[in-house]
Amino acid sequence: MAHADEAAIFNKDEAKVDWHDKALWFVRQKRDKSAHNVQGWEELRNLASALKANVLSNLDTYLLQFEENAKKNGVTVHWAANAEEHNKIVHSILVKHGVKRMVKSKSMLTEECHLNPYLEANNIEVIDTDLGERIVQLAKEPPSHIVLPAIHKKKEEVDVLFQEHLGTKPCDGDPQYLTGEARKHLRDKFLKAEAAITGVNFAIADTGGFVVCTNEGNADMGVHLAKVHIACMGMEKLIPQEKHLGVFLRLLGRSATGQPITTYSSHFNKPAPGKEMHIVIVDNGRTEQLSREDFRASLHCIRCGACMNTCPIYRRSGGHSYKSTIPGPIGSILSPGLDLKKHSSLPFASTLCGSCSDVCPVKINIHEQLYKWRQIIVKEVPQPGVKKNILKIAGRVLANSAMYHVAGKSARFMLKYAPRFVIYSKLNAWGKARDLPEVKNGNFDDWYKNRKKNE
Amino acid sequence: MIGIKTEKRMSRESILKAVKKNKPESLPLPEIDLGIFEENINLVETFIGNLNFVGGRAIQLNNITEMDAEIKKLYPNASKIVSCVKESALGTISIDKETDPHSLEDIDLAIIKGELAVAENGAIWVTDQDFTIRALPFITNDLVLVVSTNDMYLHMHHVYEAIAKRDRTFGVFISGPSKTADIEQCLVVGAHGAMSLTVFIV
Repeated sequence: MAHADEAAIFNKDEAKVDWHDKALWFVRQKRDKSAHNVQGWEELRNLASALKANVLSNLDTYLLQFEENAKKNGVTVHWAANAEEHNKIVHSILVKHGVKRMVKSKSMLTEECHLNPYLEANNIEVIDTDLGERIVQLAKEPPSHIVLPAIHKKKEEVDVLFQEHLGTKPCDGDPQYLTGEARKHLRDKFLKAEAAITGVNFAIADTGGFVVCTNEGNADMGVHLAKVHIACMGMEKLIPQEKHLGVFLRLLGRSATGQPITTYSSHFNKPAPGKEMHIVIVDNGRTEQLSREDFRASLHCIRCGACMNTCPIYRRSGGHSYKSTIPGPIGSILSPGLDLKKHSSLPFASTLCGSCSDVCPVKINIHEQLYKWRQIIVKEVPQPGVKKNILKIAGRVLANSAMYHVAGKSARFMLKYAPRFVIYSKLNAWGKARDLPEVKNGNFDDWYKNRKKNE
Repeated sequence: MIGIKTEKRMSRESILKAVKKNKPESLPLPEIDLGIFEENINLVETFIGNLNFVGGRAIQLNNITEMDAEIKKLYPNASKIVSCVKESALGTISIDKETDPHSLEDIDLAIIKGELAVAENGAIWVTDQDFTIRALPFITNDLVLVVSTNDMYLHMHHVYEAIAKRDRTFGVFISGPSKTADIEQCLVVGAHGAMSLTVFIV
């Protein structure tokens, strides 16, 4: 189903859409306030963008440097060409340690690789420990936002879900009570887990270390209690030197939620005595994206979600309408690179207003890339007949002034006198859920000629 | 087993080969001009403002000897206390490198010396050399950090210079208590880590 059709489903509950829209816009406003507090914010964005560009242009060198240093620190480094290999590697580590229960902190990469169902099929319990991720896991849904995974859920829905799965009392969706119950439930899981999986926010080439950021402390609770830590990273997470974290950590929290920094920014270098640390470096389409000159900057992304919070389409269509692991504007430029046909409607889920590019902390030209994907998609993927033909006719009309004149006149006549069902037919996408403007007499052309005459 | 190993090596080589082929022409590594980020502001005041903003509490002391009395006032019911600060005599449970982190699950309070504080974001930098058992600052119900006014830095760029020469094992910036807003964007303090954070500035 195309994005627009999925969005129509989300839009059936108007009150919920309004709430979703406002909640995310509020996060965007918090981001603005926080960013304006920082002297040299724009320079930070320029630096971050230039650093990521430098990384991509030397990625092989940095990867080797990172691997060498991580190994020196006693960390085992694995390489996975695709999702399947990633899942196999993780599974083999768990099998080696006889792990039956595992906790996982937020990692969009493991979502991308569909790790959970793979491990569950192999009889390993996987518990997502970020509260939002636990909520969607219990609801058997994917996250709808990369930073706020359960933003599409109302608190009353969480209430019902927790009653069913955690045995909580009905509470009218009291967030304090529900969070407290989730804390108890997950604490038990942390204490019993034999292995912990985390994502990686930044991997540092010159130290072999990596940084994981959370607000809840769930990554650390998992890692420091379990005997095995597996960190899964997309290969573009590298940065050259540790001091560059100064740039990225100043940008990430502020862009994501308006916090000056996440509550916990954990720097992992060596495993604790007697424990094991593994890193899985994953390609899964990234080297291919690297080859596309127009689109490689999408690999700068640090997964802050700012482009989603600001996007007028995302806010009103919900993350699930994108049907891709990473939704919103950034997802709409990443996903077509993975499967052009499946994700062909996503670059059109945008007004091209450019707000996403304006807030992006690493200055990805998101809206320009959306436009460029459109150029490719209309050539390579069959387009709906109505859209194709109407645009073809429009092109002819606009190129011919006599035809344009006639078309304008008849459109005004139609809007004034034609019955509603004709004007608001299926052919008129602009008439969906909105009324067209009232038609006044005359037109610009006549008005201009008259004005000239009277001069 | 041999099959898996060969496949592993092949992926590594094929990924590196593809990167080499597909990467753009080399772009320079930018220099960070710190002058752009300098501000003449009161570090302690800024730090306290930011710590409050992220849900933490700051208490300024003239002398570290006043700390225990303040902690008793703030956490009167805490009985299982781990102190990693030699100036505090409140510790009731001692830990060492052999301590099983699971045994710390019902700790009421941990008192840890912070190495430095960051004014711009209210964060404190601590490493496992300060608290021995990595789980401690997360698993404890409440957390007390102590930091000296001499170890206060304006922003993260200065901080990374200051910690550049450390022994890298595990370190963490902690900015406020554990929190979440995953249910309808309502802020709830106390997700999985510490329920409260008090920072003593000495």
